[in-house]
Amino acid sequence: MNLEKVVFGFFVLLAATLNFGFFIGDMRDPEVHNRYELFAAVIVNLIALVLKFGDRTQIGAVHLATSLVAALQLIAAALVYGYATYVSSAGLTEQFMAAIVSLSGGALLANVVSVVLLVVETVSFHRG
Amino acid sequence: MGNPLLAFWSRRVEREEQERRARRARLLAAAASSSKASETIFLVLRRMRAPLIVLITIFSISVLGLTLIPGVDGEGRPWRMGFFDAIYVMSYTATTIGFGEIPYEFTYNQRMWVTISIYLTVIGWAYAIGSLLALLQDRSFRQALALQRFSRKVGRLAEPFVLIAGYGRAGELLGHSMDKLGRRVVVLDRDPDRIDGLDLESYHGDVPGLAADARDPGHLGVAGLNHPCCEAVVALTDDDEANLAVVMAAVLLRPDLPVIARATTRTMVERMRAFGSPTVVNPFDVFGDHVRLALQSPASYQLLTWLESGPGAPLPQRGSPPRSGRWVVCGYGRLGRELTSDLRAQGIDVTVIDPSPHDDVDDVVVAGGFEPGVLEGVRLEDAVGFVAGTDNDVTNLSLVAAARRTNPGLFIAARQNRPSSAPLFAAMELEALLVPTEVIAHDVYAQLSTPLLYRFLQDMPARGDAWAEALVDRLSDVCGDRLQALWKVRLNIHEAPAVGGWLASGEARLGDLLRNPENREERLHTVPLLVLRGQDATLAPESEFELAPGDELLFAGWPAARRALQTTLVVDGVLDYLVTGRRQASSWLWRRLSGPRPPADAPAGTSRG
Repeated sequence: MNLEKVVFGFFVLLAATLNFGFFIGDMRDPEVHNRYELFAAVIVNLIALVLKFGDRTQIGAVHLATSLVAALQLIAAALVYGYATYVSSAGLTEQFMAAIVSLSGGALLANVVSVVLLVVETVSFHRG
Repeated sequence: MGNPLLAFWSRRVEREEQERRARRARLLAAAASSSKASETIFLVLRRMRAPLIVLITIFSISVLGLTLIPGVDGEGRPWRMGFFDAIYVMSYTATTIGFGEIPYEFTYNQRMWVTISIYLTVIGWAYAIGSLLALLQDRSFRQALALQRFSRKVGRLAEPFVLIAGYGRAGELLGHSMDKLGRRVVVLDRDPDRIDGLDLESYHGDVPGLAADARDPGHLGVAGLNHPCCEAVVALTDDDEANLAVVMAAVLLRPDLPVIARATTRTMVERMRAFGSPTVVNPFDVFGDHVRLALQSPASYQLLTWLESGPGAPLPQRGSPPRSGRWVVCGYGRLGRELTSDLRAQGIDVTVIDPSPHDDVDDVVVAGGFEPGVLEGVRLEDAVGFVAGTDNDVTNLSLVAAARRTNPGLFIAARQNRPSSAPLFAAMELEALLVPTEVIAHDVYAQLSTPLLYRFLQDMPARGDAWAEALVDRLSDVCGDRLQALWKVRLNIHEAPAVGGWLASGEARLGDLLRNPENREERLHTVPLLVLRGQDATLAPESEFELAPGDELLFAGWPAARRALQTTLVVDGVLDYLVTGRRQASSWLWRRLSGPRPPADAPAGTSRG
């Protein structure tokens, strides 16, 4: 067992699951989307992104690209969240919430690709 | 022409050649990319993984804590900080800017947490910045940076350059002489100090240098082996094996390039020659040849040293080395071996002094040479020549002094190993001095800068002493006792557009070309040294020599003569005057007015060929 692989897989999966957890639920209802979960998703995605730095293989490059997409989408979602809460006079409306959740949905897609890559890499790895 | 089988065959051969070329390019690209594997950006990313993750974690924990800890607003009502406020507060706190407690004054709970976060984040930042600075100092990182900068510089070179592998003393001399000619060089050496020293040297052009092992074809590739502007590869490292590796790489991957390599043993010369036809320079062999030439024909040797020293050199004294008599050679290393066999080939008796016994040579005295009584023991009093050829400068100097005391009339040759000993050897006023690195640099320089002169020097010794004496007299009549300019002319459409028709007429005599365009009775102050037609060289051609289109000529003479010759070759009508003595009008109108010339008088066509 390789501890590095465990940590890597852990963060990639955790990024996807947290993202999924935030995404699930009625799109317009702020009650079912926890802001702490979004925060955790952003942080874990950033860590997953950093973990993928410096791998020069083809699959490593695609890994990095998916993480970049996910991190950017989630940060965009967090920015919209902040704008809606602090700047906009209307507050956290349904439109804002829908935008936030759909952005995180995009990130979820990227995270799913990342997980698929992880699985493909694992399956194609032959022992010996 | 009409044979379809032949056409098919030639097309096939052509295609094969193209495929071979493409395959070689691929091989070289693969070799080059293997050495580029450590690209800087990936190195930075990989090294910064841990610090960045630590930073993100610390930051997120601090922010999360701030949002979870209950606080109070301005009126004392319970209030929780949002994520935006928390990130804002942590950002200015972590970067030690410290705006204070925003938006409301903190409770003690929050202050405690902020205190903890300050220390945590400062540690995180210190770690991240520390690793980044350490990375900048890191050797492999700097190497990766240097490699990238170097390959970018080489890639941008748009003029022909010479790739020098091995930047020792010889490489330095060669680099400076090429630089003075306005030619570019790219340098590869294993020693980083030599490469760093490049910046301090006074080069006119920018000299890209890389501290890397030249034995790696990838490094040669980065240094421009596959660059279309690379015009020659020179292997001058002090390691024969490494030179062989460079020759191999260059010949296999770029067979079209001339390769010049240094080798110090005959075996190595043979091994290098196994790969196509690289030019191999063996300094001891060259020196041996020079000594032999000096003994055999002093005038040829005088001409050789004069021409090799370059423009401005004074006419060297014609030495009169002893042709018969016994020689004593101290040190039977690479130089001693070459020299002994060269001298014995002349029928000269040689006594060898060497600290270790050798089986492959007769008449050996096993001694260092500096012990009392040894020089007397080899009867130095009745010897005529003495060679101090060990690889230790101090030993050589003391041997020379001892030999001179024993027999002041000796012809003394010595070997200088280190450049720092140069003044001492100069003060000794020796009859012949071997500085291996300088011999190499001169030889390679002669081959690269003026290939025609090199050809001349190669063929010249065969002509004998009397011929050389006559040529030296002719040269000193024309130039005086200092060598003037050496230049070459190629009789083609670009360099000699005005004489094409005359050349093609078959009556183009060299003598007509060398008249003064101002006054044809006057001869130009120049001596033609060589005419090269294809592979055939004619040395010191007479004025009756018939020129043909495409000939390459090497001249020695005054710079003014060079300009005059240039005029003849480029300006229409000048040659007409030189050949016939009649001035031809240069403008179209005057030519019309002067009317058609009588056909008997006219030389065949002076128009642009």
